[in-house]
Amino acid sequence: MKQGALLALGVIFYAIAAWMVAPGFYDGFNPSPYAFTCPPPQAGDTKPTSGHVDIRVVGGVSEANSAFTNDGQLVIGFLPGAFIAGGKTSISVDIKPLDTCPNPTGIRFVTNIYQVTADAMLDPSKPANLVLQFSNLVPNPSTVYQASDPNGQWSTLPSQPGQPFTIASRITTFGYFAGGYPATSPPPGSFTIGGGQILPIVVAMLIVVVVLVGLPLAVIPRRR
Amino acid sequence: MLAVEWTRAVAMRQPGLAIPGLVLGGAALALAAWRIPPAKLGLGTTRFGLRVLGGLALGAVLLLPAAVRSSAVPLLPAGLAVAAVAVSIGEEVAFRGALYAALEDAGGAPLAIIGSTVMWTLAHALSHPLPFLGAVAAAGLLLALWRWACNDLIGPIVGHVIADLAL
Repeated sequence: MKQGALLALGVIFYAIAAWMVAPGFYDGFNPSPYAFTCPPPQAGDTKPTSGHVDIRVVGGVSEANSAFTNDGQLVIGFLPGAFIAGGKTSISVDIKPLDTCPNPTGIRFVTNIYQVTADAMLDPSKPANLVLQFSNLVPNPSTVYQASDPNGQWSTLPSQPGQPFTIASRITTFGYFAGGYPATSPPPGSFTIGGGQILPIVVAMLIVVVVLVGLPLAVIPRRR
Repeated sequence: MLAVEWTRAVAMRQPGLAIPGLVLGGAALALAAWRIPPAKLGLGTTRFGLRVLGGLALGAVLLLPAAVRSSAVPLLPAGLAVAAVAVSIGEEVAFRGALYAALEDAGGAPLAIIGSTVMWTLAHALSHPLPFLGAVAAAGLLLALWRWACNDLIGPIVGHVIADLAL
């Protein structure tokens, strides 16, 4: 009886504690909750951050460096000589999350939109590596999108999954970037049943199995 | 155990080391149970069906707060599923198995429950943001209470695996 009561208290304590944070156990898969510009209902309201880096130019060649937002949600790696320096001694790169969330036709964005600017152009023969983090609360993006105007035409960039919950792409020009998938297709890589209600169905099935199988199992040994 | 968990958390931040970190970390944690009889770890086979069923119930409890609020959580990428299973089993064997048994011998069930929960929470300090550690501690306490109340580790293993795979 005492065990059962303490176990029940443990369940209640856990339910309260788990309710106070965004869903996820993140056993190393997604340590940082994603900071959304326009958060879905189940996410926190932490705002995304911007980033800035000054890259030195030595002998007319820009050094290798990375630009990233302070929360690490967007990282760009530049190779040596990635910029057309044009006599500059340093190149300034800025990353800013867009504070609105446009929904262009045919695209479903699952990351924030970031504006990346620099005071020098990229050398197209030395593309920069752009990595976008995404949340486990949304479907995985299938590609990185780029646009010169967030309310204009978006184009897809060849993209590939990076570390868990990241997607990477190579860029040769700056502009606006976001991860997403075609709105006309189901979310890539997702296994959905019942219209995407995976988790409630999983939990409901567990409860049904426990009740239906558990009662007979609990009773049989007593009869012996 | 803390060294293994912290090393795993740091290693997984490096490109390409997420899966090896999880698998090797899980295996290293499981070594904590080396030469400890299975029954002492809570791995007895009596009423095995009920133990597994208890694990399903624990899984449901662990997932319930997320399920109520979030309907379309993507499943873990397939490549990480095996690694998730490995680290879940390793953590349970280490914390609710070997550590719990050692602490119970040293100071009884209260020390085993509280001590294993504290160590479990500390072990996740590097891999989880600070606001999550309360929920991590509560999950550890729940699993430790099950270990004590049912003298069983099968349930926590099953529940932990389900929770990690689904979230």
